Amino acid sequence: MPAVTSAKAVFSSDHPLPWLFPLIAMLVVFTIYPLIYNIWLSFHEYAPFRRELEYVGTDNWVALWNDERFWGSLSVTLTYFVVVLIIELVLGMAIALLLDADLAGFGVMRGLLTLTLVIPPAITGMMFLLIQDAEFGVLTWVLEQVGVLDGTAPILSTPSTALLGVMLADIWQWTPFMVLIFLAGLRGLPGEPYEAAMLDGASGWQIFRRITLPQLSKVIAIAVLLRGIDLFRMFDYVFVMTSGGPGTATYTLSLYAWQQTFSFIKWGYGATISLVSLVLILVIANLFIWIAKVRW
Amino acid sequence: MRDSDRKQYAARAVDRFVKGRMDRRQFLRTAGQLGLGATALGTGLGARPFWTPKAHADAHAALKPSDEVLAWVRDVSAPFRGTTLKLATESTPPSNAINSQLKQYFEEASGMTVEIEVLPLEQVLQKLTLDIASQLGTYDLYYIDQSWAAFTARDVFDPREQLAANPDLAMPGWAVEDFLPALVDGIARYEDSLVGVPYDIPIFIFMYRKDIYEQMGFSAPTSLEEYYEQAKAITDEMGPDMYGATGQMKSGHYSLECDWTAWLWGHGGSIFDADGKFAGNDERGLEAMEYWRRLYGTMPPGVTGWTWDGQGQSIAQGVAATMMSWGEFFPYFDDPSATKVSGLMEAVRCPAPKHALRTVDETGFGEIPGVGHQGGSSLAVSRNSKNPDPAWIFMQWATSYDTQVLITALGGGTGPTRTAVYDDPRIIANNRVGPGTTRHLGVVRETIANDMGSEPDLPEWAELANDTIPVRLGKYFAGEYSSNKEAMDDIAQAADKIVSG
Amino acid sequence: MIVESASRRRVRTVLAVAVVALFVFPLYYWTTTAFKDAREIFNIPPNVWTFDPTLKNFEEVFGISLGFLRQQEVLPGGGNFYMAPRLWDSIVVALGSTALAIAISVLAAYALSRMDFRGRHAFVGWVLSTRMMPPVAVAIPMFFIYKDIGLMDSYLGIILMHTLINLPLGVLLLKSFFDDIPKEIDESALIDGASRFLVFRRVILPMAKGGIAATAVLCFIFSWTEFIFVLTLTQTGLKTVPVVSSSFVTSTGTAWGNMAALGVAAMVPAFLFILLVQKQLVRGLTLGSLKQ
Repeated sequence: MPAVTSAKAVFSSDHPLPWLFPLIAMLVVFTIYPLIYNIWLSFHEYAPFRRELEYVGTDNWVALWNDERFWGSLSVTLTYFVVVLIIELVLGMAIALLLDADLAGFGVMRGLLTLTLVIPPAITGMMFLLIQDAEFGVLTWVLEQVGVLDGTAPILSTPSTALLGVMLADIWQWTPFMVLIFLAGLRGLPGEPYEAAMLDGASGWQIFRRITLPQLSKVIAIAVLLRGIDLFRMFDYVFVMTSGGPGTATYTLSLYAWQQTFSFIKWGYGATISLVSLVLILVIANLFIWIAKVRW
Repeated sequence: MRDSDRKQYAARAVDRFVKGRMDRRQFLRTAGQLGLGATALGTGLGARPFWTPKAHADAHAALKPSDEVLAWVRDVSAPFRGTTLKLATESTPPSNAINSQLKQYFEEASGMTVEIEVLPLEQVLQKLTLDIASQLGTYDLYYIDQSWAAFTARDVFDPREQLAANPDLAMPGWAVEDFLPALVDGIARYEDSLVGVPYDIPIFIFMYRKDIYEQMGFSAPTSLEEYYEQAKAITDEMGPDMYGATGQMKSGHYSLECDWTAWLWGHGGSIFDADGKFAGNDERGLEAMEYWRRLYGTMPPGVTGWTWDGQGQSIAQGVAATMMSWGEFFPYFDDPSATKVSGLMEAVRCPAPKHALRTVDETGFGEIPGVGHQGGSSLAVSRNSKNPDPAWIFMQWATSYDTQVLITALGGGTGPTRTAVYDDPRIIANNRVGPGTTRHLGVVRETIANDMGSEPDLPEWAELANDTIPVRLGKYFAGEYSSNKEAMDDIAQAADKIVSG
Repeated sequence: MIVESASRRRVRTVLAVAVVALFVFPLYYWTTTAFKDAREIFNIPPNVWTFDPTLKNFEEVFGISLGFLRQQEVLPGGGNFYMAPRLWDSIVVALGSTALAIAISVLAAYALSRMDFRGRHAFVGWVLSTRMMPPVAVAIPMFFIYKDIGLMDSYLGIILMHTLINLPLGVLLLKSFFDDIPKEIDESALIDGASRFLVFRRVILPMAKGGIAATAVLCFIFSWTEFIFVLTLTQTGLKTVPVVSSSFVTSTGTAWGNMAALGVAAMVPAFLFILLVQKQLVRGLTLGSLKQ
């Protein structure tokens, strides 16, 4: 079979290029070009009357610097990113530790948890919109019964709670993602160090702190990176649930870029917002990789 | 017919039958013409007594396009057989009726394929702007909400131009003059050109619970102040199980802007003044805000999270007693399988404005004040289309008298945009309590003639109406401004900046 | 593992059930929504346990009718909620993009795990960074390219986009799974005269089966749920579940019951896929230790 022979020939050396080639090809075509295009675009703006893009120099960048809405969206995005990431990380680890046992029914429960992941976020948003509706929502009803809400401040349209309402959908949907990845790590840990620690009379917390955590550090790093990147770009939930409101209380960078690009046809400005967002998450991610001493 | 064509056609017929777009009899007839027995098409189809494909059309076998119309379509479409037309539209009653039930007749007669992409309003705008901005002609026809008319004007054909240029393709009896003149002005006209023709007309009418009004001893309000008093009395008496008013007041959503304009215009205010400056912060504008604030106090607390969906549900499920909003909802309220208020709702014209309405000369950008806010849309052929002629045939058919009657009768309940359709016996026949009723259409027609309010036409309007105004109004109702004045001044500043570029 | 006392096991079980129930409750509620009509969905107080189940929502979404149960009726607005083919579109796109993403990722991950070359750390960083671009920014240029090369509105176009968004995830996860397999295994096989490719195919791939399955599940999920690219790069040719779910938002209200019916139905293929790879997954989760 000639195909196999040639594949063998290509892949038999120790040179990584043939192995990496399909990956590089895909990424270059589909990411380098959009990146260059967006940089170019950020120095242009769509002129609605002439129906074409015209050069505007650094106008978009200057406008961005002076745009209160941009800074507001950035602060919402960062708040969302930090709070949700911490909650999902801690909660995910706690649930993973809880479910990491070979007891009756635990396999089924691990499977049930993954169900939240297969619901498209756009539908999850609608689901939580219904659950949190001020009049008809089941969560609102429960919270009113127990006296947390008094019926005058709807969760999603009160500035102080709207972002929490959106976060709730995210946490519900993605904590199981963390659980899944952490469980993968936990289940693979060797048993010997634990037995030794038990004999030494270490407490559960000490065991977790000294033995489990260090061994899981790389898994945690991967989970935090993957989830963190997606949190920073979060769009679907706010798009569906709050339209960024009330006011701008839940307006994220992604939603802002979307609005500028698609609703107002300010492609250049939208590209500028996206680029800033990209640079920020690049910096944050690399800081994290550096601080956490992740080596690939 | 070549064999491969025949097979393809047969496959399409089966597909349509399975999807419920073709009734059984017609399907068998088609299959017979193609020389295929039902068994040859798949053993399952003929022999499933309980698991039968849904065929909505059965109950309305009589509601089919007239033979004359189809003959015209067949005739003019001859050179264009095989063309595929694309249209992106909001999920509105006319588009749904055409897409799921009427399109098949057009396709069969014309030999064309019509692909209709049904999306929520914001996504239609996104598709439309991308298509216009790129000038790529990915759609042949545009569904244009009245608030986008100015932006799209240069990219669509003026129907009068098409009529003049293609006398051979003109549908007999199809004329721009047949559409309600107020709608042509309010929806389709931008400066001197027509951005297509009016296609649907959701418009604010006043809908209320007859039983509750009787219980309270009220009659339909004639003034805005009376309306407020009634709403307050109902909420005081029956709240929190029943509220006197409701709203579509979700921050950052177009629906919030719609509610605002109705109160604004109703208090003699306007969005822009004659110089094109934002006028919502003048004396009348502030008075309107004061009124709205009071009325908001009589609404369910959830209104600030609702678009028209939540607003409609609050009526449908018996939470609120009145709504001044889209008349399109009325046929839904009468559907006993979906709501708790079937037969209990009445429709009347909106309460009269408190101060005289401003005239068009006193406002800017062609804004037409009126308590009956309209959210109509037009249908137009894109100048970027590669198939403008076939698209023009489809457009005439979709907006023709015959088709509009069918749309309205098939349970749409949206107001027809043609004068004569209101008087068609098939429409009057649906004037009874039940799903798809037309018993509110008299009010719709009067509202169009007397109360209609239309938003201004300017290219920046999409941004103002979908973001600048509703985001700040959302802030206002979230209590982030200290006064009405502060809120409206903030909108004024932002709006003027966008308008002046 | 640590052996727990019976009482601790009981506490653990109770806690676990409580937590999982909390997560499953919204799903349960959403599923009941699919079996309710609008009057029940918007009941006050919310109807959680007792309601009159109806199949109407599923009938409308899947274009079938259990007509003998009740009279046929015409739907207001025309009944435009027939979505069954869109489920098929979703399956094709998700399976296609998962297969492609895994194929590309295993090759790359193997090289990154086994071959030392300068800039490897930076290279992985770059791969990861391709996931950081906001989708809105990628959607516009891709719209133009797709229009030019005819990928607009096609399965292939969407499959390629979804492959792209899954590559960083695939490469990163698979690399860490490969890292767990001792290098000595490769080396002894190489010394025995096997080629790199043979080692990869006959030794490493089978050993990493569990990890590959776990990665495939995640790729499938990300494709299954992706919204912006499908919205921007399709018209009428195909649409996936997340995007069509928004067409239940109409000018005369939102068809909540139908939307829930589609959402519930859409869980089934995804869950089946997870079950199919479940056997591998469990092994992947146990053997594929990701320790440093």
